[in-house]
Amino acid sequence: MAMDVVDYEIFGNEMQYVEVELDPGEAAIGEAGAMMMMQDGIQMDTIFGDGSAQQGGLFGKLLGAGKRLVTGESLFTTIFHNEGRSKARVAFAALYPGKIIPVDLSTIGGTLICQKDSFLCAARGVSLGIAFNRKLGVGLFGGEGFIMQKLDGDGLAFVHAGGTLAVKDLAPGETLRVDTGCVVAFQPSVDFDIQYVGKLKSALFGGEGLFFATLRGPGRVWLQSLPLSRLANRIVMAAPAAGGSRRDEGSLLGGLGGLLDGDND
Amino acid sequence: MEAINARLFGPGLPPAGQTCTWQRDSGLISWAEGRTRLPATAGEVRVAGFDLQGIELAWQDARSGAGAQGRWALQVLAAGEAARVRAAPPAGWHEVFAKLAGGRRARRGRLALGWSALLLFLALPLLLVLGFFLLADDLAGWAASRVSVKQEVALGDASFAAMKPRLALRDDGEAAAVLRELGARLTRGSVYTYRFHLVEDKSINAFAVPGGIVVVHSGLLAATRSPEELAGVLAHEVQHVELRHSLKSIMKQLGLSAVWAMASGDLAGAMTGKAAQHMMELKFSRDAEREADSAGLDALLRAGIDPAGMPAFFATLDKAGGAPPALLSTHPASAARREALAARMQAKGSHPFEPLPYRSWPPAL
Ligand SMILES: [Zn+2]
Repeated sequence: MAMDVVDYEIFGNEMQYVEVELDPGEAAIGEAGAMMMMQDGIQMDTIFGDGSAQQGGLFGKLLGAGKRLVTGESLFTTIFHNEGRSKARVAFAALYPGKIIPVDLSTIGGTLICQKDSFLCAARGVSLGIAFNRKLGVGLFGGEGFIMQKLDGDGLAFVHAGGTLAVKDLAPGETLRVDTGCVVAFQPSVDFDIQYVGKLKSALFGGEGLFFATLRGPGRVWLQSLPLSRLANRIVMAAPAAGGSRRDEGSLLGGLGGLLDGDND
Repeated sequence: MEAINARLFGPGLPPAGQTCTWQRDSGLISWAEGRTRLPATAGEVRVAGFDLQGIELAWQDARSGAGAQGRWALQVLAAGEAARVRAAPPAGWHEVFAKLAGGRRARRGRLALGWSALLLFLALPLLLVLGFFLLADDLAGWAASRVSVKQEVALGDASFAAMKPRLALRDDGEAAAVLRELGARLTRGSVYTYRFHLVEDKSINAFAVPGGIVVVHSGLLAATRSPEELAGVLAHEVQHVELRHSLKSIMKQLGLSAVWAMASGDLAGAMTGKAAQHMMELKFSRDAEREADSAGLDALLRAGIDPAGMPAFFATLDKAGGAPPALLSTHPASAARREALAARMQAKGSHPFEPLPYRSWPPAL
């Protein structure tokens, strides 16, 4: 199946969404929960698998489904067709502050490895796979780095980075150590490993960032400054119900903020 | 000429790499806008790709000098093509490829070792339990041999004290006195100080607690037709104490539960309570029964009591009918056991025996 060539436009600064323009007959796949709006002519359809040619055949579909079950992802993908006679747009919004990254898979060799929850949408024909890291270190300590999503094809794919995006191009042999949660995506040419940094004592008695992902070039890596897990931790810690204290930002506005923040129920 | 699809990274190329074709025989690497050549002197080789199926050949650009900026890397990520490159490395690169293969084997070995160690660690409690089941008899025997008589008596007394509240002891009557008299005759000269107890209970049962406590149910007493039959049962039970069958059996039970407690992480199992619980259900092997029979027979002869009471009681139990008495479920009786007993009696020859001096049988509680 040929890739659908899609035009797109990204809106917003910190809370972005991407509008994908589909010609009649074209389609995009995306996470149903990320859909923001769609114009007349777009039909939403839930399919088993990801709609790519690689998953043709019952066996391929079952295999794909099995993998998705293992990783706890939904078995179905939502596909957005343009059934109309003119161009139509469908928009996907990022679920938390950050940047939407368009990646043209054809320019990076046809494959992108990305963090499971960072995928937003892609042109139909891009296959969504699961990649397990086979390194023992990653298996034992990896957590987030153990099971990754693999996007194959030569069309456009959109992934989302939390906070500020950093794109790093690594020369052959150049290494970069990052927090595992900060890795959004990388080319398969990049070697990904989890390394333990520090003393055993500090591993036993707590401390953060003792395990680092080591990225070794060549290739391009996409990093995020604010992993969703960090953001979630911060919010939970700050929530009064979880024992966090409510800190007023500035005396007057803080007092008003309690009245005005809208979510009082 | 074999052309391999590869991706080239290096100075002047796009940071995300350049799709290219590599002629493996000539070393020529070409793409739309340019070409280069794989050096004939080997650089480095390593495993590449997220699935570790690919291969990377890297070398230093002589013109740009040292540093990451002057490095080139050629990656073949498709598993099939990478395997073909591994099988037939390019000219001049054989040695580094051989080293990589050795390293891979060593790493696989380490990986296998790591996983097996983890598995063994997880399976260890299970292995312990399994081993204990297989070796339970030997282990119990070994453990029992390390218990002193004093310790055995202490264990038995504690167990008996724990079961006492549930027993209707009738130790003041005529029957209990007869029991004690017969018992004393049968245990003369033993290292154990025996205590015989009568319990009011309709079931036909008797049991021996380690350290020298023998308990007889009133139901058994009522089932006997002569003092000699009761003596036969007592002689047998006493031998379970003398031969430490009860102790071994309890060690086995306790040992198993102790190992089980260890494996399941619940170490606070009440030991004496458990021992007491099992005291009445201590099962003996057929070998132990035969041993107790023959030693019991000898004890009867030594005490001058007619051993015919022993097989006679078997016959009495047979005639009783109904559900098999509790005594037989814990002391497995078999035709072989009876035959062995009869044969032994034959071998000992016939002696004249004084009948036991109890006129009215069974005696009153
Ligand atoms: Zn017995």
